[in-house]
Amino acid sequence: MIVAATALGAEPEKSVVQISTFSQQPVWDAPWRFDSVRKASGSGFVIRGKRIMTNAHVISWARQVVVHRYQDPQPYLARVVFIAHDCDLALIAVEPESFFDGLEPLELGELPKVRSSVVTYGYPAGGEQISYTRGVVSRIEVQSYVQIGNREFLAVQTDAAINPGNSGGPVIQDDKVVGVAFQNIPGLENAGFFIPPPLIQHFLTDIADGTYDGLPQAGIRLAPLQNPAYRRCLQLPDDGAGVRIDQILPRCPAEKLLEIDDVLLQVGPYAVGSDGTILYQGNRVFVSVAFNEAQEGQSVPVKVWRKGQALTITLPMQVRRDDAAEGNQHVLPRYFVYGGLVFTPLSRDYLRSSGADGGAPGSDELVYELFFRRRETPELWRPEAVVLASVLSHPVNANLEVRGRALVDKINGVRVEKLEDVIRAFESHTGAQDVVEFTAYHHLECLDHAAAQRAGPEILRTYGLAKDRRL
Amino acid sequence: MKDMVLRLVLPVALGALALGARAAGVRWEDSIVTVEVTQKDYDFLQPWTKRMAHHLKTGVVVAPSRVLTTAEHLNDLTLVRIQKGGHGQWWDGALQWIDYHANLALVTATATNLWRGLKPARLADPVPLKGGSRFLRWHEGNLEKRKAEIARFTVKHAHLSFLDLPFLEADSELNEGGRAEALVSDTQLLGLACAQDRTTCTVIPASFIRFVLQAADTKPPRRLGFFDFVWQRTENTAIHAYLGLPGEPRGVVVTDYATGAGKSDLVRPHDLILEVEGFKIDTAGNYTDPHYGQLLLENLATRGKWAGDTVRLRVWRQGAMRQVDYLLPAAEYGAELVPQAVYDREPEFLMVGGLVFEPLTEAYLRSWGGDWRRKAPFRLGYYEREKPTPERPARVVLSLVLPDPFNLGYEDSHFMALDKVNGQPVSRLSELAAALRHPKDGYHLLEFGGGESLRRMVIDAAEAETATRRVMQQYRLDKDRFLAPEQPPGPTRER
Repeated sequence: MIVAATALGAEPEKSVVQISTFSQQPVWDAPWRFDSVRKASGSGFVIRGKRIMTNAHVISWARQVVVHRYQDPQPYLARVVFIAHDCDLALIAVEPESFFDGLEPLELGELPKVRSSVVTYGYPAGGEQISYTRGVVSRIEVQSYVQIGNREFLAVQTDAAINPGNSGGPVIQDDKVVGVAFQNIPGLENAGFFIPPPLIQHFLTDIADGTYDGLPQAGIRLAPLQNPAYRRCLQLPDDGAGVRIDQILPRCPAEKLLEIDDVLLQVGPYAVGSDGTILYQGNRVFVSVAFNEAQEGQSVPVKVWRKGQALTITLPMQVRRDDAAEGNQHVLPRYFVYGGLVFTPLSRDYLRSSGADGGAPGSDELVYELFFRRRETPELWRPEAVVLASVLSHPVNANLEVRGRALVDKINGVRVEKLEDVIRAFESHTGAQDVVEFTAYHHLECLDHAAAQRAGPEILRTYGLAKDRRL
Repeated sequence: MKDMVLRLVLPVALGALALGARAAGVRWEDSIVTVEVTQKDYDFLQPWTKRMAHHLKTGVVVAPSRVLTTAEHLNDLTLVRIQKGGHGQWWDGALQWIDYHANLALVTATATNLWRGLKPARLADPVPLKGGSRFLRWHEGNLEKRKAEIARFTVKHAHLSFLDLPFLEADSELNEGGRAEALVSDTQLLGLACAQDRTTCTVIPASFIRFVLQAADTKPPRRLGFFDFVWQRTENTAIHAYLGLPGEPRGVVVTDYATGAGKSDLVRPHDLILEVEGFKIDTAGNYTDPHYGQLLLENLATRGKWAGDTVRLRVWRQGAMRQVDYLLPAAEYGAELVPQAVYDREPEFLMVGGLVFEPLTEAYLRSWGGDWRRKAPFRLGYYEREKPTPERPARVVLSLVLPDPFNLGYEDSHFMALDKVNGQPVSRLSELAAALRHPKDGYHLLEFGGGESLRRMVIDAAEAETATRRVMQQYRLDKDRFLAPEQPPGPTRER
């Protein structure tokens, strides 16, 4: 198990490194292509085990990672060892190991107190040398983590400047790491955020078995229970305790154990308030923090109020993966090309890449399908909705009216629930025409089946695709 | 109010339009008037408030005691006045007839002095697409004349309706047009401007106006009909092969129903529509109009046809040619899940204990401004893409919460679509009012749509009335609800 180091660096800056990343993101609506190579800079710090901790977003899509030591002009190549997009943390390794000579691993501290002073170390934009900025801990609460996009975890806000390039750098208090700088909010001045020790420790514990699983979720949506009538209706005293379970997500362990209108009174050792918060190390934070303490596969004892009685339930914790498409996925997009028609799974990345998140024509239906369908009509939900991303023009498809950004309903009569259905529907078809039906107004397009098959290799050559699929 | 107006107006035969025809060299000053409109303008986010809005528009005398203008801004009318000659006295007028879908209205006045010297204009039918034309309107006492060039006769989405209707597009240097400016030739009215985008003015053509004005003298007024199906072009000829159509590629393929108002098996998905009223339909959905050339087939739903009339279709269905007599459903805003408009009545609302509920309409969504499709809450806006069903013909929204001890904890809950109250499905405010009469164990259980951030609310039934009165007093509301006497009709079909 990798544990944050105990050695104390009297000069922490020596253990803080500059990380230069040369990265290349895929183009989700032309998924065989990549954007141009971009160089970005971040920070990191040495921990025990000859590893460097940084942010996941610093080394995302990296083609090459280069590390510079404090006041050392020599560049060192690094490789990614672990990456955790949900909590925006990563570990990288540098070879040769002599890189670490003279570098003291930094020790992980405790969650800092609000109003206490912290110093951020890093290599922000505006210069080449290490930068230090002092600030105070402004507040501690649950924030959205933008690297994953659809998760919220504990974060610490500070007025110490956290600028581009600071990402991944340590936030130090009493010579110990009390956070990893990771994001700010555009337009909000004097407000930077860092990842607190409980999440860092959770990450380090998680990877101890050689695999990163992620932060598990309770699978419930909570609603404040502060209306006196609702409390009376649920036979609860008006004492400010307990938050109501408003929704239970499908296919979560909670589905079989909890009920709508159960009132969550306690999670582990933490009493839950009517606003859904717990008192966590002196801070009132959302109760999800208590669930986040568990690792995947562990259980959390919860006390709930149901129909006038208090019950204790052991709730298994599970990392949600079925909503991955709703967040930033950081994996190469799957695709299949047939007759010049490019099919790829619907995802948040695709929406952004295709401009559909900005209100482009046809985007509303995609947004609804991705973010609302499962909650509103789960019986119609598709585990992997597929879009016609674009059409590579060729005489075989030249007259198609639908040219992209369209959600696929059926192909040759097969309801498309994942990309493999698309392949099966085309490749097993024996009719003269392929029929693609879209969900919007049940629009349909047809292709001459034999001609489409014949045209396939030529289309791939013309548009520079090595393969017709990535699965 | 409109009933009163109708009694004031002497019946005028449609033939009067023709009587208004005059020889060449007309003095347009004698036919063009200015119409001043004052209307109630509502804030749908505070539906009990009323504001006032003024508009100046152009009108054209088309028959004795009849001024034609566009319907836009004539809804919720409080005052309409007419001025002739571009200056001087304003004469009190009255709305005589209005068709919002066609965006046309007739205004009249009882003062005989107003009509003295005014002469009806002649409506062109068909509208000549070549030759000189200009826009006319009164501006600071002078008749402003702006040269116009008719670019095309087309069929496109109407300004105040979900219908596709015929329009002229004319290029002009007209400034801030679209307020019923008269497009004229030397001798005839060619149309009324209803919109302007840079130098392109959209004009309701006189031929269509002439047709629609027939409705002004029928009782009850006839209504426009439409094709309640969605079709797609078939330039992709593999579609014809798939559907087995022999011969040259032609026609368009039906893929869906539009509103559900005309839902029937008259036309079915995957029908190829080959002819409408004897006109052949090409793969782009056009027919060749004898006067105006290539036009979208939608024009054939209003080309001499009304709701309730039949339109002859020739369709290719499942390998066979069929003749279909398509019964045109009436254009009604209530046919949509989210009605595009609700005119001539104040906004409906129902407030209980500070929770303010309203019907979801496009007028409500427009509270987010001209860019409401991007700025309104996504889920509310997306209902516009959904169709009404017998179980869910409309939607009710929790629009806002007026904070009060009764609704403590719910203050931030708003813009959520209501599903059920006390177990009863709620699509309209009347159903909400009815459901609130049947609390369960002393409480009202409110359930919201699955995509909302909050699924349930509970309020105390016994305290609701007291809380409602307290909120009315605190927030200066003179009433806790306005429910229209009759709800908009659901999907219907005229026969």
